[in-house]
Amino acid sequence: MNEKKPTVVWFSAITCNGNTHSLLSSNSSKFELFLKNFDFIYHGSLTIDKSLEDIIKNQEQIDFLLVEGAISSNQKFFTTSNDSTKNILEKLVQKSKYLIAVGSCASFGGIHAKFTQNDDVCGLKDAIEEENKKKLKHPIINLSGCPVHPEWIFQTLFSLKNFKEISLDDEGRPKELYGTLAHHGCTRNEYFEWKIEGNFGQKEGCLFYNQGCRAPMTHSSCNKILWNDINSKTRAGMPCIGCTEVDFPRNNMLETKKNMGIPLEVPLGISKRAYLSISGVAKTFKIDRLHKKLME
Amino acid sequence: MKTVDLVERIEGEAKLICSWKNNKVSDARIDFLNFRGFEYILEEKSPLDALIYTPRICGICGQAHLKATVEALENIYENINEKIEISNKAKLLRQIGLNIEIIDSHIKWFYLFIMPDIIKLNSSDLGIYAPLKGKRWLEACKTASETIKALAIIGGQWPHTSYMNVGGVMSDPTRMDLINMQNYLQIAIDFFEDSVSGVSLEDYLSFDSLNDLEKLDKDMKYFKDLCFKYHLNVYGKSHNRFISLAESNLFRSGKIKQKIVNKIDLSKIAESNEYTFSLNEKENISKKHTWSKLVTYNDNFFETGPLARAIISNRRFIKELHKSFDDSVFTRVMARVDEMAFLINDTKSLISQIDLLENSFIKPKISLNDIEKASGLSVVEACRGSLYHKIDIENGKIKAYDVITPTVWNLGPSNKKEKGIAQKAIIGSPNIEIAKIVLRSFDVCSVCTTH
Ligand code: SF4
Repeated sequence: MNEKKPTVVWFSAITCNGNTHSLLSSNSSKFELFLKNFDFIYHGSLTIDKSLEDIIKNQEQIDFLLVEGAISSNQKFFTTSNDSTKNILEKLVQKSKYLIAVGSCASFGGIHAKFTQNDDVCGLKDAIEEENKKKLKHPIINLSGCPVHPEWIFQTLFSLKNFKEISLDDEGRPKELYGTLAHHGCTRNEYFEWKIEGNFGQKEGCLFYNQGCRAPMTHSSCNKILWNDINSKTRAGMPCIGCTEVDFPRNNMLETKKNMGIPLEVPLGISKRAYLSISGVAKTFKIDRLHKKLME
Repeated sequence: MKTVDLVERIEGEAKLICSWKNNKVSDARIDFLNFRGFEYILEEKSPLDALIYTPRICGICGQAHLKATVEALENIYENINEKIEISNKAKLLRQIGLNIEIIDSHIKWFYLFIMPDIIKLNSSDLGIYAPLKGKRWLEACKTASETIKALAIIGGQWPHTSYMNVGGVMSDPTRMDLINMQNYLQIAIDFFEDSVSGVSLEDYLSFDSLNDLEKLDKDMKYFKDLCFKYHLNVYGKSHNRFISLAESNLFRSGKIKQKIVNKIDLSKIAESNEYTFSLNEKENISKKHTWSKLVTYNDNFFETGPLARAIISNRRFIKELHKSFDDSVFTRVMARVDEMAFLINDTKSLISQIDLLENSFIKPKISLNDIEKASGLSVVEACRGSLYHKIDIENGKIKAYDVITPTVWNLGPSNKKEKGIAQKAIIGSPNIEIAKIVLRSFDVCSVCTTH
């Protein structure tokens, strides 16, 4: 490999570092492959050779700027390296080719935007000046998720490295990763189809009817690209809380809002009437196998 | 002379302000200048939503916050005399999940945050320990990511699962799942034996004297030798008072002040924001310098964390080290690596105690949304020490949420009477490199400290 490896800089703004730990929990062969193909020159918690100041002062371009966490200009609540997260971000963006929001806070403000006493906490798109956005080679890429799946980061970086561009949905998320719903691939799909309700602590049943599962309304590939290589929340028994969507976190995430026993919100793309009639029909079938315990 | 240094490569960032006299730190202050306001965010939320919010206080110790939240919510039921039942299986699955997260955190902390700095005292080439490229650094990351899979089996994913719920846990593992979890833990055992200590886990767990230090090989030996060479067995001493609030299979609660273990009375815990910034700008007078509060027990500062747990739970090897080297950087770091061994062993045994026929979850008869007014509190031993949560609910909504994290015990500011734990430990350091190592030996998580 004679070609110069593209540089990656990771900037942590207002965050819990969950995306960093998600990255460190990735498949280790993939992580090493990533390190071989990219020059990961700065991460506040991981690297040791350079400081953030060095990166900002350095004349060199950054190929991929990854940002974890929400942004604010308010230095009373948040200063990092003696500056606001917004100022640092603007400086870094001017040197960068691609800007990738890692996680829901960087994408849309996420949980930190709920701290209303600091009223300008937001995601990257709203934080960066228009003229600086224009300096980028590509629209901002939002890898939402609380945290982001590490594999989504790798797939995005490798595709950009090879193809220079990636097609995005209306929320700036890569279509290939967010085109389907989190519901896609859940091992409970059969129960969903036949409207069989689940409970907490059980292998059987679907969590859409009572436990608040948002997967039928949430764009993500959590059930296709499994977490930690092995599992997903809904497979294990925890409802999807819709953490890849703009409106995360919502209220009452662990229960399904209902009207006369029917979920108030129905799966994306289906009219409420159609959903109601199909539910009615499905419920008339009593499928023995699905009403039994999977194993005693 | 005064110096101001930014400390990176912790969870978040801190500012270390040192005064120097005769080439030694004569006074130290630690400022945490980031505040995200979780306690405020939680106000007016539905109580169960706290299960989603609090793990996001910290990306590395989310399960400790989750367990604290679920137990504080369950304590609310107790306080209104509404019996709620938690199966032993659910209790085990919660403790196992938390333990695995602590093991993951201990591995990362030693290799990502501690070793590079200690080695740097000695040489500019970190060799196999170099971040992102060294062979051992990568092996440590790999081991942590394999180990955490054991938690993903019951939690669905890590980080940020909320698989614990009021009434039990959401998952229902099979026997094969449990075996799979044991296998992932075996990867951690192999790493501990081959690379961390260089001795078998069984032999290691039987260590009980200072002489056993000589039996260490591999990274613990390398670490120990560098500590002695650079006097890290002398630097980093604080008040030599320890506290551990929660009990588990492995840990006892208690506090130690002049060798006495007493029962803990949670009402003696007091938080103060005398030196802490306020949301109200007018209150931010000059003595306020950090977003961290300070916490005392019976008006004294206590160190919390793996060293406190080792001493209070009577783990022999660490107690012996402590006799010779007090609460130095060396003892503190050794206590944490030592705890890794005990936790892996203990977690394997907890997994084998699970009775799969028990319920994972038993739904409480009444909903928290219907409770007019009540409070609940809980304590949990998290990777960095004791974690305390207190919830007040009113008309089915969270009225107030108070979190005291381990880092507030260790890294909060001084009060009028005495220096804070980390501050006192830093005083006496001969240069800024050592001062930073002392600070880091407490495992600084700036996000938790200010939350
Ligand atoms: S639990 Fe959620 S993801 Fe799984 S089938 Fe039901 S609705 Fe879909």
